[in-house]
Amino acid sequence: MIYYKEKCRFDNSQNKAGQAKKIDKMGAGSMILLILCGVAFSAGGIILSRILSRSSYNPQKGQTYECGVPTIGKSLVQLNVGYYLFALLFLIFDVELVFLYPWAVVVKQVGWPALIEVLVFLFILFLGFLYAHKKGALKWM
Amino acid sequence: MNSLIILAALGLIILFSEIFNFKKIIFPIVFAGIIAAIVAALGDWNNSASYFNNMIRTDNYAVSFSVLILFITLLWFVMSSSMFEDQETRTDYFSLIVFSLIGALVMVSFTNLIMLFLGIEILSISMYALAGSKKDNLASNEAAMKYFLLGAFTTGFLLFGIALVYGITGSFNTDQISEYIMSTGHSSSPVLIAGILLILTALTFKIAAAPFHFWAPDVYQGAPTPVTAFMSSVVKTAAIASFLRLFGSAFAGPSEFWIATLWVISAITIVLGNILAVYQTNLKRMLAYSSISHAGYMIMSVIALNEKAASSLLFYTAAYGISSLAAFMVLLIVSSKSGTEEISGLRGMFSKNPIMASAACIAVLSLAGIPPLAGFFAKYYIFSAALQSGYTGLVLIAVAGSLVGVFYYFRIIINIFESNVQMNDLGVNVFNKAFLLICSLLALLFGILPGLIIDAI
Repeated sequence: MIYYKEKCRFDNSQNKAGQAKKIDKMGAGSMILLILCGVAFSAGGIILSRILSRSSYNPQKGQTYECGVPTIGKSLVQLNVGYYLFALLFLIFDVELVFLYPWAVVVKQVGWPALIEVLVFLFILFLGFLYAHKKGALKWM
Repeated sequence: MNSLIILAALGLIILFSEIFNFKKIIFPIVFAGIIAAIVAALGDWNNSASYFNNMIRTDNYAVSFSVLILFITLLWFVMSSSMFEDQETRTDYFSLIVFSLIGALVMVSFTNLIMLFLGIEILSISMYALAGSKKDNLASNEAAMKYFLLGAFTTGFLLFGIALVYGITGSFNTDQISEYIMSTGHSSSPVLIAGILLILTALTFKIAAAPFHFWAPDVYQGAPTPVTAFMSSVVKTAAIASFLRLFGSAFAGPSEFWIATLWVISAITIVLGNILAVYQTNLKRMLAYSSISHAGYMIMSVIALNEKAASSLLFYTAAYGISSLAAFMVLLIVSSKSGTEEISGLRGMFSKNPIMASAACIAVLSLAGIPPLAGFFAKYYIFSAALQSGYTGLVLIAVAGSLVGVFYYFRIIINIFESNVQMNDLGVNVFNKAFLLICSLLALLFGILPGLIIDAI
């Protein structure tokens, strides 16, 4: 499994072969260019909008955008976030779909084994769903 | 390979046990399942084969570390039975542990960078959930949050590194990567260097080596003690084994620059881990820093990169895993009875609990590296492997570091034998006594007969 140092000192004479040149061109220069471009792209947007936009300050601007009438009392009340469990369960079906699409493309070529394999996969996913149900994840609290 | 299938089936059976209500008898099933996985793994010995389109190879390196990981997990189950007492959550914990074992086994037997990524993720995601398994404890929640955020962030580093390496070599396969690098001599390509260093960053984070160690003390202290023991033994073993496997095969060609980087990382980790551990008064936090410093010693085997590296690393992880499990067991018993995790909580343990106190002493002496215990020979083999490759300076730093280590490990022993304070009888049950006895005997056995493991690979 392990290659040791002695074996791995590669021969420098091979280094001169022309095929190495092609990839060497995407060396440090292009890395730095990529990073600079990335920084310039994100910073440029912010700076440009600073320059181009007109700045106005009125009290309306500090309000929450398009969120109905001003609140009565404190808006920091405790909410039940139980709904996240449903979102998590939805993930099971999400993952299922992600795998079913590529499966649907090749199922005709592969034939019966593909059907059996996907049934095993669905069974395991269904097991996870059943487990969550047993744990009471679908009960409304 | 069969061991992976057995573990996956075991995980599904645990889920079944929740659905069909046989979770009362799940403990023996899990125990038998893991023993079956060990037997199946041993069946692959000297019988190297590739699976999943060359993504996993069960060579002797993979088999030996798989068996070690599974064996330590068996011991861990004995130690952490208190964690599985709650009927509500026991199937969750059991399945998470078994699924994380699948990740660990994939990590030590991969031959494909994607498989490495997958293994690390399977292991890590289970650990994020387990670190926060004390839901009503703020420290546990904080530990899970910190571990998850930083772990997810470094996963990005790993993926970016893999992408850059793929961009240069055109392959995810470790053999093909090393072949390509050696045949074309692209070792000086900056993109490749950037990729290797990004992967190195991610992996040193996973084994908690300085300067990527900041998460470790908080996470180790906040997580429930059994989970901390699992992280510091099984997870660390899997991470360092995958480290050596990757850097010893795929990146062994352009080794000059990353060995220089690792040299510095190893030296800083040993010095920082040992010195910071001296200042801790909390035993759990001190063990966390000690585990950081042990990561530094383990990295030395990757730096040595010769034919002794794999066997010395296997011995080190075995010795360290067993000793740290025993140390965490003592901490678990003391903290559950007296409610404190401070080192002063151990005072006067010897008078009323002689068996536990002696086991604690053996574990701590083994961690410190005192002959004739396993920890001494573990350090000896790692140092001699590094000396063979000519890293005398690093070995000198490591020896100095372990001298500092002796200081804080002996503080535990001094507390245990303090005669002014009387500790109550802790009422340790038979299982825990047997566990401590097994760990002590193994530490002695590996110390007296190191050839049992060192000649294995």
